[in-house]
This record gives sequence, C-alpha cells and structure tokens, in this order.
Amino acid sequence: MKILLLSFAALKDYFPSKQELSFDGTKSVSELKSYLSNLNPDATNLIKISRISINQIIAKDSDSIVDGAVVAILPPSSGG
Amino acid sequence: METNTEFKHITENKLGLPTEFPPLPSMGGYVLFAGIVRDVNDGRSVTHLEYEAYSEMANQMIADIISDTLKKWDLQYAECIHRLGKLMLGEVAVIVNTGAIHRDEAYKANRYIIDRVKHEVPIWKKEYYVDGSSEWSQGCVDDTHNH
Repeated sequence: MKILLLSFAALKDYFPSKQELSFDGTKSVSELKSYLSNLNPDATNLIKISRISINQIIAKDSDSIVDGAVVAILPPSSGG
Repeated sequence: METNTEFKHITENKLGLPTEFPPLPSMGGYVLFAGIVRDVNDGRSVTHLEYEAYSEMANQMIADIISDTLKKWDLQYAECIHRLGKLMLGEVAVIVNTGAIHRDEAYKANRYIIDRVKHEVPIWKKEYYVDGSSEWSQGCVDDTHNH
C-alpha cells in the first residue's frame, strides 16, 4: 500500500515535510511509529509522544492505515 | 503545507481586536482573550515566534471545539482565530471571544476553548532567542493549565 506522510514542526528535523511511503500489506499506527523510529532512531522519543492523524482524523495506535491515506505525524501541540 | 490559504479559524494575517461587540441584544457578558507574544519564556529572552499548523485539520478542530462549547454552555457567541507565520513581540497569536446572557458562561467557555486549542489543535510555535538560537516549543505539559 502507498501513503502520503506529512511531518510537522520538530519532526521536520528528522523527516521530509512530505513523503510517499510504500509498504507490503497494511500497517497499524503503532507499526508505522516503529517503522519511523527504525528509519531515524534519533526521532524515537519525539515519535513516542506524537499523535498520528489519518485523513485529518486523530488515530489510535491500534487503527489500521488504509491505502492512499494522507497520514500526518503531529508532535505535541504548542499553539496559543 | 497549505500556506497562504485562508480559513475561518486559521489565518496568516495580523489579528486586530474587534472594534465592536456582536450585535446580540440578549448578550449581557462578553469575554475576549488574546494570546500575545511575550519577551521571555522559561527564563530565555525571545525575539520573535514562528507558528505553523496543519492548517486544514487545525481549522476543522477549532470548529469542532467551538461546536462542543456551544453544547456545554448557553452561549450567544463563540469564536476563535489563530494566526500563523512570524510574529514579533506584542503581536496577537490567538483570539477567543465568547458572549452569553451572564458572565459566568462566557468566562468558562472562553477558558475551555483556549485550553483545548493549546492542547489539541495541530499548531506549533518555534521560539527565536536573542542569542540567535531557536527551538520548537515543547508544548503545554501542565494539565492544571495554571500558566
């Protein structure tokens, strides 16, 4: 399956702001987090405390990512 | 991402204060909160901030928070807008305004909106310091909101 992964704020120090990823079969949110941590171990701590959105809806770790989804990895919010 | 795109609750334009109250005869209390760029954070002197957001999602989340707020309190008015981009000291980053028949609902609803916006909405700020360094804000980790 293919997804578009968006990275924001401090995560852009570790990943491109926008990248296309391809996987064999489906992946859960927690599997994606592990994959990204392996891709760049320096980002592990930030990934752990980040939320994931799938097509702009906040996802749970157990949620499956659907083919063609726009997935975003969101560090803790700091607006205001 | 969606830069230069205008949303109802997310803007790259300078935020000004409203010059008049919403024309609502039943509104007896109106609360305006403005979040302003200050000169010191965690003991470090700040020169300016840069805000970024997942704009489309942030806009929808703020709309949802306002919708939740209107279910919790009997309000005549509830609005929130957050600015993105480079903001200098003293500039307004976010405005929340609420109006109700009585002040209590307007105050409580206003606090509820800003607390949820700060904690949940995908908006981030980078702080730039006088020594030339910069750092992404860690976000709010104080669940008591006493800050």
